[in-house]
Amino acid sequence: MQLKTLKEIIKKKENKSEFAIITNLVTGNSEIFEKGKSLGKDFEKFTDQINSFYKLKKNGVIEDTDIFLENYIRPIKVIVVGAVHIAQYLVNFASSLNFEISVIDPRGYFATEQRFPNMKIINKWPDEAFKEIETDSNSALIALTHDPKIDDPALQHAIKKKFYYIGALGSKKTHENRCERLKKSGFSDEQINQIHGPIGIKLGGRAAPEIALSIIAQLVAETYKK
Amino acid sequence: MKNSFDEKILEEANDWIKTNQKVVLATVIQTWGSSPRPTGSRMIVNEKGDFSGSVSGGCVESAVVRECVGIIKENKPFKKIEFKVSNESAWEVGLACGGEIAVYLEQIN
Repeated sequence: MQLKTLKEIIKKKENKSEFAIITNLVTGNSEIFEKGKSLGKDFEKFTDQINSFYKLKKNGVIEDTDIFLENYIRPIKVIVVGAVHIAQYLVNFASSLNFEISVIDPRGYFATEQRFPNMKIINKWPDEAFKEIETDSNSALIALTHDPKIDDPALQHAIKKKFYYIGALGSKKTHENRCERLKKSGFSDEQINQIHGPIGIKLGGRAAPEIALSIIAQLVAETYKK
Repeated sequence: MKNSFDEKILEEANDWIKTNQKVVLATVIQTWGSSPRPTGSRMIVNEKGDFSGSVSGGCVESAVVRECVGIIKENKPFKKIEFKVSNESAWEVGLACGGEIAVYLEQIN
């Protein structure tokens, strides 16, 4: 691989744009592939195969060719509501798992740069904050404030946008009350049942990093079920 | 995870090059059976044999390092190597898990 290509790849990764690296295993040449991009002479005769393999979002040697393709797929957006203690650990776990985290908390004293260095923090109420983040069925929500004023609007947004993972912190009782409120706001049982509450898989621990681990474990499991 | 934006091995390769090290990039390009790491897994090796990242669960890394140092010495641009199931003799390099992998080595130049 040429150093120039390596530098280009690093830049593309920083910009979080989707692309693939293609390598001709016979000539040793590699280049960056993007949708619709015309290919160099080592690759042009495999244009159709490369395009269809790219769509599969997989890595591998393309059948009947000597082309190796590695796909870079956009990270999954995870929106954490509540810049609480657990969130600080969540952010650390998530960074090595390729989730792109945003933290929403209207309470300025929680969501500070000092508590969350190098993190996208939105110091607004969820309704306002979601105007700044594009979300879809490929997004996940982790609601941690257990304050209905802050969590509920975020949960409602996530249900409407069909997030693939929605989790809310709180005891069984808190969760029952939450479900009641959502029901009164017109959400169906099917929609409400999508919320993982109480959040996380059962590990047993109750310390902040342990709860964060149980949440991230559930999120990873649900990501692979998609 | 499925995507690899956060794997920093290529960034690390770039840092090594900045400090005038020669770098070989090793990538798992094919797997058969139960392989320890999926296609696309990477490690980097310099001329001294220092390495970072992984292409297996520690089963074949030593052989990959040797091959990488070898292609730097011989000034070969790239090479493909395959690893198969090992037998039970303790020090042989191979995949105890029963899988097979193909690893592509390329110098960054």
